[in-house]
Amino acid sequence: MVRASFTLLKDVAASTGFAKSLSEFLVCPLSKQPLRFCEKTNSLISEAIGVSFPIKNGIPCLVPKDGKILGSDDVAELASGSRNS
Amino acid sequence: MRRTTRSLSLLSGGSTSCTRSPSPFMRGTSEASEGARLRFSTDGGDGSRVKIFDRDLKRKQRDRAAWLMRPGDCFIDSVAENLLDRLEDCKKTFPTALCLGGSLEAVRRLLRGRGAIQKLIMMDMSCDMIQQCKGREQDKSDKNIETLHVVGDEEFLPMKESSLDLVLSCLGLHWTNDLPGAMIQCKLALKPDGLFLAAILGGETLKELRMACTIAQMEREGGISPRISPLAQVRDAGNLLTRAGFSLPGVDVDEYVVRYKSALELIEHLRAMGETNALLQRVPILKRETALATAAIYESMFAAEDGTIPATFQVIYMTGWKDHPTQPKAKQRGSATISFKDIRKQFGDGS
Repeated sequence: MVRASFTLLKDVAASTGFAKSLSEFLVCPLSKQPLRFCEKTNSLISEAIGVSFPIKNGIPCLVPKDGKILGSDDVAELASGSRNS
Repeated sequence: MRRTTRSLSLLSGGSTSCTRSPSPFMRGTSEASEGARLRFSTDGGDGSRVKIFDRDLKRKQRDRAAWLMRPGDCFIDSVAENLLDRLEDCKKTFPTALCLGGSLEAVRRLLRGRGAIQKLIMMDMSCDMIQQCKGREQDKSDKNIETLHVVGDEEFLPMKESSLDLVLSCLGLHWTNDLPGAMIQCKLALKPDGLFLAAILGGETLKELRMACTIAQMEREGGISPRISPLAQVRDAGNLLTRAGFSLPGVDVDEYVVRYKSALELIEHLRAMGETNALLQRVPILKRETALATAAIYESMFAAEDGTIPATFQVIYMTGWKDHPTQPKAKQRGSATISFKDIRKQFGDGS
């Protein structure tokens, strides 16, 4: 169990690294506006259209279908909401 | 025979016109707002997008292909090699490059430092494909290229405007519903004087299979349904490049004939490449009888003396550059200061 959480943490660390070196190139596929990296949910958020794109294994998934539409709630609730779904 | 060829041309002709000229379908829906909306894609707006390919299915097929892929596929390797060879023809270097879907693995393997690429972004719509690419990255000999991976759709390119020096696509773009739109997005992502280099399958591809499918379906089912996707013709490729606004467009064509032991092996190869039918209007059921009839007809019509069957793959290579003031340009019409008559006088009118 401890090991599992440890690898999970490492994964997150690795993925954030990747997202950062890529982030200078990436924009929202739909609006072409900049993306914001959200460490809490490990996702890229397009604020222009309110959609979050997941990062799986350090690979950002920017296919429009993979995106989740964010509600108008505050960020904390969003984070828990996207973790549940 | 005559009848079959006619129905064939009907099939391919009808469908190609539908792919490459979406205008008849979207006319009247949002013509006024077209100019404003069509910055990134050429669709007519919200609901009126012409869909020919089932992109979700294609994604699944590519996921599957990631596991079926054979590294060292002759056909894919020679196309990738041919495409990358073009980088050597340019004096320019390409520090940042984007490689779009299709045969990523071959491109990465055969790159061998060409084009002096420092940062290579690999993009595919299939998660599994990208995962595999990333997995293979560890056992690469040339580690001086920083490779980044992203899952993305060519139709919705997630790249920043003017951030790339090169956009490469090896056998992937022919599955986009909106090819002009995808190319326009590529152009936007390129820096000035950036290069767009793509290989797509052309209309002559799998003509034997097209014929065999048509005949078998007519024979067994009394009608035909599209089994092979409409592909761009060579003349379309040039138009596409100019429509996307690339300067110095160049198009050339190569035909590869691959020989297989049987028609079923051809299908297996297509599946391994992720090139199986993903038309939206496909008939989801393929009867066993029809499939076997297709294989039999294919073999009886095209088999060579040694029992192998040929399959033609036509590959269209497209090159285009993003505008840059240093590029050679034609002068404006009517801006000539010397008359052709004078030139003729100068050089004599021998010819």
